[in-house]
Amino acid sequence: MTMYEKIEAMLEKVQKAPRYTGGEMNTTVKNWDEAALHFAFCFPDTYEVAMSHLGMKILYHGINSQPDMLCERVCMPWVDMKALMEEENVPLFSLESRTPLHQFDVVGFTLQYEMSYTNILAMLKLGGIPLLGCERAEDAPIVVAGGPCAFNPEPLAEIIDAFMVGDGEEQILELNRVILEGRRAGKSRAEILKALCKVQGVYVPSLYDVAYNEDGTIRAMTPNCEEAPEKVMKAIITDLDSTYYPTEIPVPYTEIIHDRIMLEIMRGCTRGCRFCQAGMLYRPVRERSLERLADLAVSLENATGYEDISLSSLSSGDYTCLAELIRELIRRMKEKRVSISLPSLRLDSILKDSLEETQKERKTSLTFAPEAGTQRLRDVINKGVTEDDLIEKVRDAFQGGWSSVKLYFMMGLPTETYEDLDGIADLARKVTAEYFAVPKAERAKGLRVTCSASVFVPKPFTPFQWEPQDTQEIVREKQHYLRDKLKQVKGVNFNYHESDLSYLEACFARGDRRMGKVLLRAFEKGCILDSWGEHFKYEAWREAFEETGVDPAFYAFRRREKDEIMPWDIIDCGVTKEFLWREKEKADQAVTTKDCRKGCNGCGLQRFKGVCSFCG
Amino acid sequence: MMAVFEKSERLRHIGHLDIQRAVQRALRRSGLPVSYSKGFNPHILLTFASALSTGAAGRREIMEVQLDREVSPEEFLEAMRTAMPPDMQISAAKVLDERHIALMAQVAAADYTLTLDDGAAAAIFAEKLEDFLAQESIMAMRKTKSGMKETDICPLIHDLTIQDGAIHAVMTLTERLACKPGMLLDALAAFCGMEEAPRALVVRNRLLGMTESGELAPLETL
Repeated sequence: MTMYEKIEAMLEKVQKAPRYTGGEMNTTVKNWDEAALHFAFCFPDTYEVAMSHLGMKILYHGINSQPDMLCERVCMPWVDMKALMEEENVPLFSLESRTPLHQFDVVGFTLQYEMSYTNILAMLKLGGIPLLGCERAEDAPIVVAGGPCAFNPEPLAEIIDAFMVGDGEEQILELNRVILEGRRAGKSRAEILKALCKVQGVYVPSLYDVAYNEDGTIRAMTPNCEEAPEKVMKAIITDLDSTYYPTEIPVPYTEIIHDRIMLEIMRGCTRGCRFCQAGMLYRPVRERSLERLADLAVSLENATGYEDISLSSLSSGDYTCLAELIRELIRRMKEKRVSISLPSLRLDSILKDSLEETQKERKTSLTFAPEAGTQRLRDVINKGVTEDDLIEKVRDAFQGGWSSVKLYFMMGLPTETYEDLDGIADLARKVTAEYFAVPKAERAKGLRVTCSASVFVPKPFTPFQWEPQDTQEIVREKQHYLRDKLKQVKGVNFNYHESDLSYLEACFARGDRRMGKVLLRAFEKGCILDSWGEHFKYEAWREAFEETGVDPAFYAFRRREKDEIMPWDIIDCGVTKEFLWREKEKADQAVTTKDCRKGCNGCGLQRFKGVCSFCG
Repeated sequence: MMAVFEKSERLRHIGHLDIQRAVQRALRRSGLPVSYSKGFNPHILLTFASALSTGAAGRREIMEVQLDREVSPEEFLEAMRTAMPPDMQISAAKVLDERHIALMAQVAAADYTLTLDDGAAAAIFAEKLEDFLAQESIMAMRKTKSGMKETDICPLIHDLTIQDGAIHAVMTLTERLACKPGMLLDALAAFCGMEEAPRALVVRNRLLGMTESGELAPLETL
């Protein structure tokens, strides 16, 4: 049997064959031999998750729009497919041409969340690529990775040959060019990796040596060749209007998680919430112009046939002319019956009227994220939401016919006490009271308030990067306490999860190269698809730590000193460590910092004149 | 407008609802003046002559879409050429009389090719085919809403031949009564004493309707 026939036979047996068949509208199947560079865009999770990711769609078409480059998609197969592939000896293949992963020139992973790391190992292994960079042959693919987790690349330092930090649109093409030229000139793998250092935001971990102090902290990270820079500055696209944005985005046959047009209206956020990594990493704020967005929306609709469009950004409500944008989108898309999903929290009254006129009204649940239960703790995390704001919005919603509200909180935030947990219960009670305050005849039936509390994970490049995570015992106690408190509030559901996953996430988020050993061992022990509850094997992870002699508490539960060298200090994310420390000190005193739109806070972006439109 | 389209082998695992949605999106992309239903949740007025099961490919599947104004078949084909995915191309289109009988009710039978992976099984089938067809009745299990039901498929098989490892069959397909490829394979396997039916690639070549003189003919020609 040929490989093609083998795959066809496997597809008869697996649960969801359309995950592996490709052929979706707006996907590109280029002639393999006519392309000089072959890039495999790997998403380390299943097809439905992968195809919901905007970044992949942007970069996929970006690479394919280059005449001499080809990009194909590769996703993590589900366990049934993976088992069959291993049994039949079929290597992991691309969706477009079913080419084995090891035949590509560049294999690129997107790092969206830490708990997808074992899937990277599974995909490399299944794709016939050695797991460790140092074991890869001269002609093996160059393995690269980008995305938010690339800002702390160290746990994957031995696995990934080169990291791409920052905005990828231009960087990925430049990286491909350097690899293509290197291969053409017959350069060795090591030479190509050195040459990659000149691409903005590229970090090649093998070109740095790490020395440790006796207490396990890092003494120094030093370049071991002259090409490697002392610090790697992330890539920044200064003007979003002029950068590439695809209109012919793939339209899957089967339902995926975000099955609609996603229009990125801006990148970055000025609010400065202290727990939020994205809010720091994606600075500065850059907005696409209204004209460009309206044109894009129409072209996207024409190219996809989608009936829904959602505005995507970290805080769409902050987009400068949001009301005008929405009116313009409604005006231009009315005829094609496109409905627009909006940031529900910031609708002025005029807008509400024009929405009711044209949009199919769907009174699904409204989501609010106060994140913390008391004003004190909200000030600590710099979440600029007051109780009055929230209650007012909830009142509007209940009066407007909604009956279902979701409230998101974090548990284990720095300085949290049981009073803050009581605050969560109080807030939930006040929300339900607003519902009952609406006369029975005027309110929708069936009050449902869902309170979700996730476990806080301190992240690199945030003011909380020095903070310990709550131990699992404390988390469990807090969860039980809050559960019992919320039981007493009528109409409220409480959602929380086992803290094991958040604990591991904390280890990787602030991990160094030694965490890579744990990762490899856990994978050997069968850990994959960790973020899929049914496949998460906590016991195996625990053993992996033990067997490699790595102490997870060192990463998760330890308070760092001000001047400790962090594994991610090698990266310059734009925001300076000094700014983060200033913010940490303000957090300790529950002092807030204003939104950058109201004046520059000196986060570090001011170093690059003209990059941020709100600084000095 | 009636259109004949392909569901290629690559897409055979895509279910009918997903195919339906893919066509709706293609129609939206085409810019054609498609009609929407009235009411709270308007949808495109689109029907299919027969749902093709998950796992099967179709060479000449048939759909009908209502348009707000007259469009020539040529114009329709041109607009849909780029709007439909490459694996779902439309090969023919025809303007239908507004008062025609629903396509679904016109389908009488379908023409299939079942290619067997297992050459040996195909050879056994070929050898026993004559005896198989000589039976007075051929009982097969048929899935119905109320569970499995035994049906005599003998009168439902209009034509059955085997050549080069592929079964060619023309079988009844109505809303009330049908012999599906799986039923035929199961019956053949049981007759030849096989434990389970061999795997086959199912391709529905065309849908057939009944002419006025009672002959089977391609649905799109009626």
